[in-house]
Amino acid sequence: MNAADRFDLGGGEPVITLRDVAKSYWREDLEIPVLQGIDLEIPVGAYIALMGPSGSGKTTLLNLVAGIDRPTGGSLEVCGYDLNDLDDDQLASWRNAHVGFIFQNYNLVPVLNAFENVELPLLLTGAGRGERRDRVEQALSLVNLTDRMRNYPRQLSGGQEQRVAIARAIVTDPDLLVADEPTGALDAKNAEEVLALMARLNTELGKTIVMVTHDPKAAHHARHQIHLEKGVLDRTVEVNR
Amino acid sequence: MRWLALIWKSLMRSKRRTLLIVGSLVLSVFTVAVLQSLLTTLDAATNNPRSSNRFVVRHKSGLTQMLPRSYENYLRQQSEVETVCALQWFGGYYQDPRNFFANFASDETTLFQIFREEFGASNITEAQIKDYLRDGTGCIVGESLAKKNGWKVGDVVPLTGTIFPINPRLTIRLIFKSPKLSDENALHFHYKVLEEGVPRMKGLCGSFWVRARRPEDIPRLLERVDRHYANSAYETLTETENAFNLGFVKMLGNIGAIIQGITIAVVIAILIVTGNTMATAIRERTTEIAVFRAMGFSAGRVLSLLLAEGVLLVGVGGFLGVALANFAAGGVRGSLGMAMPFFADFSIQPETALACLAGALAIGILATFIPAYAATRRPITEGLKAVG
Repeated sequence: MNAADRFDLGGGEPVITLRDVAKSYWREDLEIPVLQGIDLEIPVGAYIALMGPSGSGKTTLLNLVAGIDRPTGGSLEVCGYDLNDLDDDQLASWRNAHVGFIFQNYNLVPVLNAFENVELPLLLTGAGRGERRDRVEQALSLVNLTDRMRNYPRQLSGGQEQRVAIARAIVTDPDLLVADEPTGALDAKNAEEVLALMARLNTELGKTIVMVTHDPKAAHHARHQIHLEKGVLDRTVEVNR
Repeated sequence: MRWLALIWKSLMRSKRRTLLIVGSLVLSVFTVAVLQSLLTTLDAATNNPRSSNRFVVRHKSGLTQMLPRSYENYLRQQSEVETVCALQWFGGYYQDPRNFFANFASDETTLFQIFREEFGASNITEAQIKDYLRDGTGCIVGESLAKKNGWKVGDVVPLTGTIFPINPRLTIRLIFKSPKLSDENALHFHYKVLEEGVPRMKGLCGSFWVRARRPEDIPRLLERVDRHYANSAYETLTETENAFNLGFVKMLGNIGAIIQGITIAVVIAILIVTGNTMATAIRERTTEIAVFRAMGFSAGRVLSLLLAEGVLLVGVGGFLGVALANFAAGGVRGSLGMAMPFFADFSIQPETALACLAGALAIGILATFIPAYAATRRPITEGLKAVG
C-alpha cells in the first residue's frame, strides 16, 4: 500500500502537495526530528483535522503548510507555489494572499476594535478605504458580528473574539484556512458555534481548512482526520456525518 | 484605519507608560534646549560682531578700581582712535531693590558715536540727542526697559544708588532701540551727575570704551596703552569688548564644560530610559508581532511600524520639550534678563531647537531599533508560542 492509497482524501485538484517533507530542530549539536517523510496531497475544498498526541508534529506540519516555518527536507507546494522557492518577503506576501490564520487564543490586537482587527490584513493588499470597509463588513456579517464591529476585544466574549479572528482570517478571501486548536479556549457552546461556522466556510465558500485539534468532537466537524504519530503520518479517517 | 492610526493606537496601548516616557522626554529635551541656548547666549555675548571696532580700558586690578579721566586725553591722541567714552556702572535701582537693571553714568558727548551700531536701530534724530545733551539730569533708556516700567519721554525716574551714595532723579529724554535686547534693558545718564554727586569720583572713571578707526588697529592699540601705563599708579588692562564680556562669563566658572557635561548625562539617561521602555513594550508584543507577520506583514514592514512608534513617541516629547523651553525663555528674559544683561538676549535659537529635535529622533530610532530588529528576526513560530 503506497502513501497515496493510505492517505486518499478524495479527488480534486490538490491545493497542498507535500513530498518527503521533513523537519528537524537542533539543540546544540543534537538533531531532533519532528517530521519525517511526509507525503500528502490535500485537494481543494478539503476540511482536514490533524490529530495526534503531543509532540507528534501536527502543529509543525500546520506551520509548514501555512508558510510560517520552513522544512529541512522535501518539497512543499501550496496554492500553486513551491514554498521553498520563495524568500521571506515573498512568503509574507504569499501568506497574505493565500492563507488565513485562526489561533487558539484568538490573538486579536487589543487596542484595535473588531472592525480594525479584521481590516489589518487588508492594509497590505492596496485596497482602497471604501473597498476595505465593504470587505470588512462582509466578513463580519458572515460571522454575525456586524453589531459588534466597534467593540474592542475586551468587550467581547471568547466566542465572539474567535469569530472576529475568523472574519480576519477570511477577509482577504484566502484559499486556505489554518486553525490551531481553534476551540481550545472556548466553552462547549461557543466551541460548537465556531466549529459550525468553520464548516459553513468549507461547504458554502469552498475554503480548504486544515485544523489541528486534540478534541475528537472538533475533529468530527472535519471531513477527514489525519493522525500523526512520532512525526510520521499514521492513518487517515473519513468522517461520516 | 490608516497606518498612522495603527501606529498611534499601538503607542497608546499603555497610556500611563507612554505619558511617563513622553514626560521624561519633555523634561530632558527642555533641559538640553535651555542649557544649550544658555551656552549660545553666552557665546553670542562674547562674540558680538558689532563690537569689532571697540575696546575697553580699565584698571589692571579690577573694575572696582578707578582710572584718572585724564587717560582719556592720551587715548584720544592715538591716531588710530576715533573716539573715547568714559563709562561707570552705577548699580542703582528703581523703587524696589528687586527692580534692578543695568544703569550707567556715561560720557553723553561720545556715547552715541561709540555705540553707533547699537543706537543705529533707533532712527534717533539730532534733535533728540540735543534734548538729552541739554538736560544735565536727562537720561536715555532702552525701549524694553521703558515698556517694562511704563516709562515715556519726559517721565522722571528716581534711581536709588547702591554703590554710590546718591539718588539721582533723571528725566527721560530719549528711548532707544537696539538689535540686542540686553542693550535695551539699560539706562544711561550724564557722567557729571556722578562726578558732582560723589566727590570721590571727581576726575575718575571705572572704564573707557574706545572706538578704533579700523578693527585691525586694535591689537597694537591694546599693547600700546598697557605699555604706556605700565608701572604707573594706575596700571591698565586693555582688552577688546568681547574679551571684556568674556571676563564676566568666566566669573560663572567653566560653564561650557558644566553644560556639556550635564547635556551628555541627560542624553545618556534618556537613551537608557527610552531604550528600556521600548524594549519592554516590544517584548510584551512578541506574540502580536508574530501574528502580524503570519498575516503577511514582512519583517521589514513590522520593523518600520515599530520604528515609527519610537520616532512618534520621541517626536511628540521632543516637540513639547522645545515648546516648553521656548515658553520658559520668555520668562528668563523677563526676570533674569533685568539683573544679568546676558540673559536679556536669552532665546531658544532655531538651530538649537532643530538640534534637540534631531537628537530626540536619533534617540528614538536608536532606542527602538535594537529591540525591534531582534523581535522581527525571531521565528514566527516561536513568537506564537510566547506568552504575551
